[in-house]
Amino acid sequence: MVRPVATNIRALTLALAVAFLVASVGVAYWTMFASESLAQDPFNPRLIAASRDRPRGQIVDRNNAVLADSVPTPDGFKRTYKDRTLAQVTGYASFQFGLSGVEAAYADSLIGQDAADPASAWRARYLRERVPPGAVVLGIDEKVQKAAADALGGRRGAIVALDPRTGVILASVSVPTYDANEIVDATKQQTAWDQVTKAQDKPLVNRATSGLYPPGSTFKVVTGAAALESGFDPNQKLRVDDPYQADKSWGTYFVRSASHAHGDFSMPDGFRLSENIYFAQVGLRIGAAKLADYAKRFGVGGAPACDLAAAKGQLASEGSIDRPTLLADTSYGQGELLVSPLQMALIYATIANGGVMPTPHYATSVRDNQGHVIREIAPGPIGQVIRPDTARALTAMLVGAVEGPGAFAFGAKIPNVHVAGKTGTAENVPGSAPHGWFIGFAPAEQPTVVVAVIVENTPEGGVTAAPLGAAVMRAALNK
Amino acid sequence: MRSRGAAPRAALHVGAVRGGSSGGGAPRTAGGGVPRRRTAELGLLVWVALLALAGFAAVVGAETSAFGPAVIVVPAIYLGLVLALHVFLVLRRFRGDQLLFPLAAALTAIGLVLVQRLASDLLLQQLSWALIAGGAFVATILIPRDLTTLARFKWTWAFLGLVLLVAPLLPGIGREINGAKIWVKIGPGSIEPWEAVKLLLVIFFAGYLEEYREVLAQAPRRIGRFPVPPIPYLLPIIAMWGMAMVVMVFEKDLGATLLFFGIFLAMLYLATGEAFYTLIGLALLLGGGFVAYHAFPHVAARVDIWIRPFADELRFGAGYQLVQGLFALGNGGLIGAGLGNGLPERIPVVWSDFVFDAFAEETGFLGAAALLAVYLLFVYRGMLIALRAPTTFLQLLAAGLSFIVALQTLVIVGGNARLIPLTGITLPFVAYGGSSLVTNWMLVALLMRVSDASARIRGT
Repeated sequence: MVRPVATNIRALTLALAVAFLVASVGVAYWTMFASESLAQDPFNPRLIAASRDRPRGQIVDRNNAVLADSVPTPDGFKRTYKDRTLAQVTGYASFQFGLSGVEAAYADSLIGQDAADPASAWRARYLRERVPPGAVVLGIDEKVQKAAADALGGRRGAIVALDPRTGVILASVSVPTYDANEIVDATKQQTAWDQVTKAQDKPLVNRATSGLYPPGSTFKVVTGAAALESGFDPNQKLRVDDPYQADKSWGTYFVRSASHAHGDFSMPDGFRLSENIYFAQVGLRIGAAKLADYAKRFGVGGAPACDLAAAKGQLASEGSIDRPTLLADTSYGQGELLVSPLQMALIYATIANGGVMPTPHYATSVRDNQGHVIREIAPGPIGQVIRPDTARALTAMLVGAVEGPGAFAFGAKIPNVHVAGKTGTAENVPGSAPHGWFIGFAPAEQPTVVVAVIVENTPEGGVTAAPLGAAVMRAALNK
Repeated sequence: MRSRGAAPRAALHVGAVRGGSSGGGAPRTAGGGVPRRRTAELGLLVWVALLALAGFAAVVGAETSAFGPAVIVVPAIYLGLVLALHVFLVLRRFRGDQLLFPLAAALTAIGLVLVQRLASDLLLQQLSWALIAGGAFVATILIPRDLTTLARFKWTWAFLGLVLLVAPLLPGIGREINGAKIWVKIGPGSIEPWEAVKLLLVIFFAGYLEEYREVLAQAPRRIGRFPVPPIPYLLPIIAMWGMAMVVMVFEKDLGATLLFFGIFLAMLYLATGEAFYTLIGLALLLGGGFVAYHAFPHVAARVDIWIRPFADELRFGAGYQLVQGLFALGNGGLIGAGLGNGLPERIPVVWSDFVFDAFAEETGFLGAAALLAVYLLFVYRGMLIALRAPTTFLQLLAAGLSFIVALQTLVIVGGNARLIPLTGITLPFVAYGGSSLVTNWMLVALLMRVSDASARIRGT
C-alpha cells in the first residue's frame, strides 16, 4: 500500500515551517545581533546619510582650531575641510565613496552616537533619536603640523611627530595630498575621485601610517637593542673592511659600507658613522632568532595599534629570516624589511620613553555638543619592550649619531638642546634614488617629541631628511 | 488542523471550512441563484485596505517620494480592483478558501507600497501589472470549467512549458538582461516565460504522478534498504526536468534552476513518500552545484560572494549589492527605521532583488517576521486545501503550487539574508515584476478552485 499523499503533504508542510523558522532566525541575526558591527562599517552609507539632514560633529585640533565642519546649504549640510596638509588624517565623509581617516574611525561620535554616552546610545538604538553631535579633538598641534608641512614642502614623503610619553600624535603630513572638499562636493566628486584613485603616487594614502618602506639604517637601533640585551659588549671593537662577506659561501654577495670604511668599530662608532658592516656582523653574532624576537617586540611585521587605520609591515617576505645573507642585510635595515614611518617613530619613542612603547593615537577626546568631554582617549602603553638601561645606552649612542664628530645626522642638531637620532638611506627599487630617513627625539634627557621623516627618492638620502626632523622638533620644543 | 483519530484519507474527510459556514441564508447546493456571501474574506480585505492606505501615507509622509496624484489614485484603483474581484467571487457563488485572496492581496499591496517607496517611477507599471494579474485571476477562475481537464492534457502542458523555456534562447524575441537570457520581448516590454513554466511544470507533474505514483512508490527491487526506482516510469519526468536544467544552464538563471529542481523533488516526494528519492536528489543538487562551481564562472562568482561578501575585492564589485543589502538589514533592529526613513535605495535594483531587505530595514525584525508569517500562513492554507482535495491530482496540484510560493520565498529571503547564495528569484507578490505577479495570481486562483471543488463535493 502506497503511503497516502496526505501524509506526505503534512511532512512537507512541517519541513517548510521549519525552514521558515530558520529563515527568520537568520533575519533576526542580521537585523538585531549583527547590526552593531554593520553600523560601524566605514562603507555603510547610513553613517554618512545621518549627516545630510543634520550637522556632523566637528573635528578640531588641540587648540580648538576647526579642521572639519558641517555648514548648512540648501541641499542639506555640507562638510568642509580646513587643512589640506591633514587631508589623509581627517579623511572624508562622502555619500558616494564612504568614510576615511578620523571621519571613519570616529564615525559614531561624529553623528552623536558615542558609545561612552549610554543615554544617547540607548536613544539612538531604540528610539532612533540622535543627540546633536559634539566634536572629536585631535592631538595635532598647529605649529608642529605647519613646521612639518613646510619642511617637507612638495617632496613626496611623510612626517609624523608624537609625544613619546603618551603616544599623542602632534603632527602628521603625507605628500602628495588631495582636497577632501572636492571628494564631498556633489558636482566635483566623481572627477576628483577618479583623479585621486588613479594617480600613480596615491594621494589618498596616509603615508605616515600606511606607507611601507625599507627602514634602512634607522633600523639599527633594533639590532643594537637585541645585542645589548643579549650581553653583547658595545665597546668591543669589530673589524670592518669594505666590502664584507662572512665566508666564501656568500659567493658574489657582499655587504657594502656607506663610507667604504676600513677600521675597528665599537657600537657608538657604528651608530655615528652608520656602518652597515659593523651591524651586519653584530646581527650574525646574536643570530636570526634573537634579532627576529626583538623586531617583533618592537612591532615590526605587525600593524601599530593606532586609532586610525595603519598598515602591517614585514620582517621578511617568507615571515622568517632564513639565511645568513638575509640576516646580515636585515641587521642594518635592508633585506626584506618594510615599515611605516609611524612604526619607526614608535620604536624610537620606546627608546625615548625608558623602554616603554606608548600606544599611538590621533584623537585625544570626544566632546558633546555642550563642550563637555564625554570621553578622554588616553590608551595605556603597549608595554615594556626593552630594559631602561638599554634605552639609556641607545639614547647616548643616538646623541652621538647627531652630535658626535663626523656624525651622519649632523643636520638634525638644534642649538642648546641635545638631540638623539639616526638617519637612514633606504635602497628600494633598483635604478631609482634611495629614500631618505631621519628619526629622532629631543631633548635627549627628557624627550617630549619624537619625529620620523621620510623623503621618497632623494639622492642624498638621510642627509636630506635630518634637517627636516630638526625643524619639526624645534617647533615642538619652541626653540 | 484535525484530530489524531481522523481518517487517513483526508481527501474525503468532511469538515467545516473555516469561515465557509458564514452566510446564513446562502443556498446549500451548488448552482443556486443567490450570491454566496464571503464575510470572512470581506472582513480581512478591510485590513488590506488599511495596510495599503497606511503604507502609502507613511511613504509620502516621510517625504522620500514626491506627493503626486499617483499616491492617491494608485491605492484607490488597487483597492477598487480587490473589491471588484471579491464581488466577482461572491456573484460566482464561489465556495473556495476565504483566506488566500486577502493574504495575496495584502502582499501585493505591500509590493505597491514598496515600489512607491523604492522606485516610484515604476509605480504605474506595477499597478498595470496588478490589473492584468486581476484579469488573469478571473480568467483562471473561469477557465477551464473542470479542473481535471488540466490532468487530461498534461502532455500539452509539458510541451507548452518546453516551448516557453526555449523561447528566450530564440534569436529575435529573446533578450538578455543582467547576464541572464530569460526574457522574451513582447511589444514594448518583456516577460519572463519561466514564471509560467513553473505552473505548467507542477500541473504536468501532478497529472503524471497521479497516474504512475503507485508504480513509482512500490519499487519492485531493493538494494539493501534502498528502493531501485522503476526507471522507465521515471524517464518522462526526469526528461522534463533535465531539459529544464539544460535550458537554464544556457539561460544562466540559477534561481529558476533551483526552483525547478525543488519542484521536481517535492512533487516526487509528495507522490511517493520516498524520502530516499529526496536524499538522492539533494545529493545530486550538491554534486551538480560542485561541478557548476568549477565549470561556470557565474556560479563560482555567486558562491564567492556568498562566502565572503565583505572581502575588499568583492564589496565594491560583485558583492556590492549583497553587502548593501546586509547594511540595510542591520539598520532594521527590532522595530525598523520606519517606512520611508531607511536607506534601502542604496541597494542596486532593490525593487526587484532586495525588497525583503528594504522591508526589513524599514519595519525591523518584527515587520520582516510578520511578512514571513503571512507567507507561511499562505502556504499553510494552500497545504490545507491540498489535504482536503478530493482527488490525488488535485492534492498534488494544490500542494505543488503552495510549495512554489514557499520555496520562492525561502530562496530569495535566504539569499537576501546571506543564508544561501543569492539568486535572482522574486519575492512572490511583493517584488517589482509583471510576469511574476500575473503567474502568482493565477496560482492563487488555481488553489482557490481546488478548494472550491472540495467544498462543492462535500456540499459545505
